[in-house]
Amino acid sequence: MSEAHDHGLPPKSSVSRWFLTTNHKDIGVLYLVTALFFLVFGGLLALLFRLELITPGADLLGSLGYNQAVSTHGLLMVFWFISPFAFGFANYVVPLQIGADDLAFPRLNALSYWLYLFSGVLMGVSFFQGSTFAGGWTMYAPLNTPAYIPGEGLGATSVVLALIMFTAAVTLGSVNFLTTMYRMRAEGLRMRDIPIFSLSINLTVWMMLFAFAALLAALMILTSDHILGTTYFQFANDGSTLATDADNPGASLLWAHLFWFFGHPEVYIVFFPALGVMAECFQTFTGRRLVGRKWFIISMVLVAIQSFAVWMHHMFLTGINLPIKTIFMATTIGISLPFDLMVFSLIYTMAKGRVRFTTPFLFSLGALILFIVGGITGVFLGAIVLDYQFRGTYWVVAHFHYVMVSGATALFGGLYYWYPKITGKMYDETLGKIHFATYFVGFNLLYFPMFVAWETPRRVFEYSQDLQIWHSMATVGGFILGASMLIMFYNLFVSLWRGEDVGDNPWAYATTAEWAVSSPPPLENFPGVPTYADGSLSFMDDEEVARRTSGPGGSGVAADGGTAADGGTASVTTAATATPATPAHEAAGEEHASHASFWPFLVSLGGFVAFLGLSGVRTGSVVYVSMAAVGGLVTVGSLFGMTREPFHAPEMPIAERWPFASVEKMKLGMWTFLASDIVLFGAFIGSYAFVRVAYGWSEWHHDLIPAEHVTMPGLINTYLLLTSSFLVVLAMVAAERESKKGTTAALAGTFALGVGFLINKGIEWNHLFHISTEMFPNGWNLSTNIASSTFYLTTGLHGAHVTIGLLICAYMTYRAWTGAYQGDDRAIEYFGLYWHFVDIVWLFLFPLFYIL
Amino acid sequence: MDWKGYTVIYVVLFVFATAQAVVEFVGIVDSAYWLAFGIIMVLSVVKAVGVAAYYQHLRWEPRAVTYLVLGGTVAALALTAAAAYSIV
Ligand SMILES: [Cu+2]
Repeated sequence: MSEAHDHGLPPKSSVSRWFLTTNHKDIGVLYLVTALFFLVFGGLLALLFRLELITPGADLLGSLGYNQAVSTHGLLMVFWFISPFAFGFANYVVPLQIGADDLAFPRLNALSYWLYLFSGVLMGVSFFQGSTFAGGWTMYAPLNTPAYIPGEGLGATSVVLALIMFTAAVTLGSVNFLTTMYRMRAEGLRMRDIPIFSLSINLTVWMMLFAFAALLAALMILTSDHILGTTYFQFANDGSTLATDADNPGASLLWAHLFWFFGHPEVYIVFFPALGVMAECFQTFTGRRLVGRKWFIISMVLVAIQSFAVWMHHMFLTGINLPIKTIFMATTIGISLPFDLMVFSLIYTMAKGRVRFTTPFLFSLGALILFIVGGITGVFLGAIVLDYQFRGTYWVVAHFHYVMVSGATALFGGLYYWYPKITGKMYDETLGKIHFATYFVGFNLLYFPMFVAWETPRRVFEYSQDLQIWHSMATVGGFILGASMLIMFYNLFVSLWRGEDVGDNPWAYATTAEWAVSSPPPLENFPGVPTYADGSLSFMDDEEVARRTSGPGGSGVAADGGTAADGGTASVTTAATATPATPAHEAAGEEHASHASFWPFLVSLGGFVAFLGLSGVRTGSVVYVSMAAVGGLVTVGSLFGMTREPFHAPEMPIAERWPFASVEKMKLGMWTFLASDIVLFGAFIGSYAFVRVAYGWSEWHHDLIPAEHVTMPGLINTYLLLTSSFLVVLAMVAAERESKKGTTAALAGTFALGVGFLINKGIEWNHLFHISTEMFPNGWNLSTNIASSTFYLTTGLHGAHVTIGLLICAYMTYRAWTGAYQGDDRAIEYFGLYWHFVDIVWLFLFPLFYIL
Repeated sequence: MDWKGYTVIYVVLFVFATAQAVVEFVGIVDSAYWLAFGIIMVLSVVKAVGVAAYYQHLRWEPRAVTYLVLGGTVAALALTAAAAYSIV
């Protein structure tokens, strides 16, 4: 490609390109390659324990080895393979399909990728810390707590931290994709008109935004149990009587609730992108528009919403009451109905069109068939009485592999489908078909016998002798499935050189916008600003854009706050360095967007080192402690570097932005992030309410909380935070009036009040740690009881938010003092959104933890 | 909104926070716990809505931003309520 246009980005043949790039297509490729690596990693583990299962008993891996292999296989496939694989396509294809030149926050996108990669590396490292996590991919309590983990359990802590890092990547990604899809659609492209794959990604990121926040809460609490010594998921606190749950009766169920509130939407998070690929392939290779497209979309929206109201079908065998089980059985049966509609829509599309049996189509069709089997067998599990029988058996294993791996099947179809677009070369069709045939046979030989041998208990290596034949078949199937993937790797690798060159569009009936540009597309994607204003895709040149945006009511011009701004709380301050609204002809020009930054890689590297250090700080080892400190410094330092780096990601001069037309991208990004933060805090407060209800709401205060825990410090802190919020809005007023003194003073006041808040809290905590009363002779600290755990951790999370806010506030005070923000209060407004949110959270923590 | 409007909101928030503490100091929490619970939580909700509507300017943003915030809130409340109900 034309390297002159690569804007400081080295060519693709250079290694440094891949560390620097922020371009969505490069990052898409990085995601795809990395995800395939984790597929191989997780797949080899699966082959290992399939070998183990040829005969009952753990004679190959040993029992701990078996448990580690099974747990890691599950975690890797669910988190590190399948979703990131889908997001490789999402990265590459979504901007092209909606007419954007990149994602809204390109550096944030690179940061997502590197966090993902390093979280996976941390997973790998955990094997070398004695042993990795071995308690199953659902990580049920209390088997996920240190007291129940063999050895020191540092590897298990690393796994939890790796998941946190992964979740951070996902949350940033969700914010980024949502902002992109609501701010950067080509003119004339209504939400309902965007291609079905992009639509499936849109719904997926919506689910991610909320579901992963709940998972993050669960993981942060678990980390705290591991490192800080809180006791959310532990039954007893004295370390000797582990068998009783009298002190904390909610422990085990709390994890199940948090995990499955995330876990069920996760099924659709995994499956929706696959559904999007299937719909695209069915349309392209039957030459038909999706039959009942509107209803297909409505079904997907319904499922996405309802997915948050079915989670307790994973808990039918726990102590939850019968009425709630019945309700969740009903919602579960309800959620299967929209899927029927989608399946029939795909079948009718096929029946009405003329099918071309290419490799992508075969994989899509195969996925549909496997999904139907997986779906029907899932209905069994959704019925309470049947679930009593099937829970904990291989029926579950077979069912969810039919569902999840059918998703993977469709995504492999997607890989063949977009391979020519990404590489400019055609793969070998014959080898592709051979791959599909072997894959399909291997798949069914692997998973179908599990239905037959359903009485095998799940997660263990022991099973009845007379089921051995089925397990042997499954093992053979596993190896065939694995071998089939080698055919794909060979085919795609060799075709990079030997494949025929393809033009823009090798598929006769592909109509989406990614096929309207060259293969691979140029760095800036389109030859001009895309528009669908007259019904089909065309491109506006600079002149036309300038004419359209300069005239009276040139509504399309985005007030551009994005010069160095790249989303996230850490860099919100930089919006202020934005140049005033760029002239339209410049904004539309291709010369000015930045594409290279080294900071995302450094931030993630620092995060990796810090987390690895954190996994071992409880041992007091100098190595671990210094890694945590150095890693933390590198992270904060690189975030600061990223904030200071001039990076230009212009908003599109003309775009379709319903329903967020007047909410510019930094603001939308911030609000989206806050929405997920609401769920994070909501899950923390919900956890508190849950364990308190489990313990007995009224007895809680009397039994577990010392009289020294009084209202006054909380009330004072409420006043401090309210006043600081007031000062932030005054800073906005002052900035608008161009009063440098006023702005600086108000921000400095905010900072001082925030510091006061932390000091007051410090004094209070210190006092409570060291009380000595009849009830609490050794103080009231994090490990004292479940009430102290919830108090310190929930208000501590809030305190951490205050601290982050203060770092930003200090920086902004300095900037205001040097004359920034005058006449442009947007940066202060965005910081304010965050700060007021932290204030609002406290408005609930105060009564819940100090009064009631 | 100008500084006068912001100040009015601030005063209201300050008074409501004090009122919450007063509910405890006069002993309603001990004598009629669930009444106190109701009063205090309603006051918190009113304060939160005030901050969001005026300080975070939700009143002047497109309704879609409010729906975004409500989406997160409803998800969190659904989790809390259903989980708590499942064990009573
Ligand atoms: Cu489920």
